[in-house]
Amino acid sequence: MNQSTGSSPISVDQIKSGFAQSGYICNDDIAMTMFLAYQLEKPVLVEGPPGVGKTELAKATAHYLNYELIRLQCYEGLDEAKALYEWKYGKQLLYTQVLKDKLGDLLKGAHGLAESIDRLHEFGDIFYSEQFLEPRPLLQALQAEQGTVLLIDEIDKADHEFESFLLEMLSDYQISVPEIGTIKAKRHPIVFLTSNNTRELSDALKRRCLHLFIPFPDAKLERNIIQTRVPGISEKLQDQLVGFVQEVRKLDLKKQPAISETIDWARTLLLLHAEALTPELVASTLNVLLKHEEDIGNVKDDMRTLFNKLFKQ
Amino acid sequence: MDRVMVDFVKALRGNGVRIATSETLDAMHALDLVGYSNRARLKTALSATLAKSEEEKSRFDACFDQFFQFNDFEQFGQDQKPEPPPPSFLQQMLKGDNAANATAEAQSPLGQMLMQGDSQALSQAMAQAASEANVRDIRVITQKGLYGRRMMMAMGLEAMEQEMWAAEGSQEPQQQALGQQLREARERLREEVKHYVERQYLLQASGDSRALRESVMRETSLENLREFKDVQGLVRKLAKRLVATPSRRRKVYQRGKLDVRSTIRHNIPYSGVLLETHWKTKRVDKPKVTAICDVSGSVSQYSRFLLMFLYSLTEVISNVRAFAFSSDLMEVTEWFERENLDTAIDLTLNRLGGGSTDYGRSLQTFTDLCLNQVDHRTTVIMLGDARNNYGDPRTELLQAIHNRARQLIWLNPESRLRWGSGDSEMKRYKPHCTWAEPCQSLNQLERFISNLLRYSQ
Repeated sequence: MNQSTGSSPISVDQIKSGFAQSGYICNDDIAMTMFLAYQLEKPVLVEGPPGVGKTELAKATAHYLNYELIRLQCYEGLDEAKALYEWKYGKQLLYTQVLKDKLGDLLKGAHGLAESIDRLHEFGDIFYSEQFLEPRPLLQALQAEQGTVLLIDEIDKADHEFESFLLEMLSDYQISVPEIGTIKAKRHPIVFLTSNNTRELSDALKRRCLHLFIPFPDAKLERNIIQTRVPGISEKLQDQLVGFVQEVRKLDLKKQPAISETIDWARTLLLLHAEALTPELVASTLNVLLKHEEDIGNVKDDMRTLFNKLFKQ
Repeated sequence: MDRVMVDFVKALRGNGVRIATSETLDAMHALDLVGYSNRARLKTALSATLAKSEEEKSRFDACFDQFFQFNDFEQFGQDQKPEPPPPSFLQQMLKGDNAANATAEAQSPLGQMLMQGDSQALSQAMAQAASEANVRDIRVITQKGLYGRRMMMAMGLEAMEQEMWAAEGSQEPQQQALGQQLREARERLREEVKHYVERQYLLQASGDSRALRESVMRETSLENLREFKDVQGLVRKLAKRLVATPSRRRKVYQRGKLDVRSTIRHNIPYSGVLLETHWKTKRVDKPKVTAICDVSGSVSQYSRFLLMFLYSLTEVISNVRAFAFSSDLMEVTEWFERENLDTAIDLTLNRLGGGSTDYGRSLQTFTDLCLNQVDHRTTVIMLGDARNNYGDPRTELLQAIHNRARQLIWLNPESRLRWGSGDSEMKRYKPHCTWAEPCQSLNQLERFISNLLRYSQ
């Protein structure tokens, strides 16, 4: 293990309580996977519906370990120039312009082309050295002296080529740059890849990662999360709210409400000084929870049955 | 424990979870860290290292529960032993009886083990015998008896039976009682072994035999395919694989021509020196598909599978319109959008199926209905045997469709040799198709759809 700082997580329970302190409530599965990722030094591929806290997990890990979080948002057309490194063209150009005059001095007294070029060679690849290298997230993560958490967000949005390009990084924590050579990680970063499953990732990528699937939370976990994230909320409202959301998830909707939406809704209700859920209150604030007109309509239609179910319990 | 792990991985593979060797190694490392003490955590740890998608996770869960139900753990924990009550009862009887009984103890190792009711040693011996008899190689359920017998032999049944017969044949009542007990014990053992082999079969072989059945199904003529029970599941699986093919992109980058305008614009910061190149990108459209299916008697089954496929592909095909015809043609898209697949297909077959086929009239109706909606993005798929009962084929109508559409594909359930024979008009229709293919099995159908998706990029 090359990580042996004071806050090193030793057991699953420690990770769990550590995450809880940074405001991220998780179940055993998540804590266990984090434990393995840390011990085996493997990247973690996190999948799940949007809004269940995939990105938050990376943030919480960074916070817990007191590591820097480096984030790379993936999108269609992302290439290595934006992900790994880029030469500072502008700076290179500017320097050549500024140094033009110097060039005359340098080459003074040189006879013929061959001698001039020899002189220039003495200076080596000045314009292709580290000073002119613009490190992008991946390189930053490799070069960092302190431990880092590297979050490669929504990898499924990136192209197939980019996925293959990541393989070297994920398996050996190193990257080959043609002009400089192979760059090895000074300390192995903790790598998270998140995916919303818009397309299937390649087997090669999956093979190199641990896999974590975060589903919608059960009622107990969701109550805990609300309690931590929205501290001011009364217990009664919290119970009703979570019960309602859990019921709504059972309906056939275009987009199921996730944890982030539940939190937003809880905050909204808190702002409105609500004491308990009423059909009118729900109807007027439903657009916080559901993001499709059709879904809102459906839930409004089913409101009576939902409430009946809720208050029977 | 390595052996257990390897067996478990094999069982997972049999159940359709893809596992690479490196992942097995990861699982071993995880195992070292986690240990066997906590079953739930062990499950999570193995799940994280072995199952890499939501679907695989659910398969993993089922497989884990089944695999580790056997008492591999009991030697570590203090769970209840699956000890059948009779032996302890017999034991008590033996112990409770007078000292003379002590002489009537079983001599063969297996007999001793059974009489002592030592379930732990027994299960170990069973596992040992299973590996000697290669139970994991079991392929079909009818081999159950064979492997069970082999396992019992490996456990030393022979010696025990010798003893049993000898004891039964002797005059002493104690010996006879022993023989009786041994016989009962043998029956119990037989039961246990049978269960064990069955479980192994479910774990190891059901996956293999499923794969075998699937490969048979894929080659079977579509006409006979309906007799297979889970064919719709297979179609869905194939369709899903087509959707998931990772190489499918919405845009094609860095291919073709330099985008001069974009290149100049992006290089203005470098005072016009062209450092960064930009390439023309090509948007990949989702194909618009119009399927025209013959649903008359002989071809209806083929149409069924084509429609099944197309409607399982809604993720990558944006707009499927379906027309069915026999003596005349009508649009059935609405049924397929509203009803579930089976109902829609049955509705179509009921309404239209069975009449005598008239290609000319059907093409005319199609032209009247929606020829003007066929455009350069539309792929028209004709499915039929082109047997027109010697009517007018109206090839000029097909040509008109061909001219408007991006491509016109004809799928014919008959093999090429029979095209043009008898009342088949295939030879006359063929020049007006972009391409024409025979389509007889799921394999051919899958290949066709995969081409359709690829060429439409």
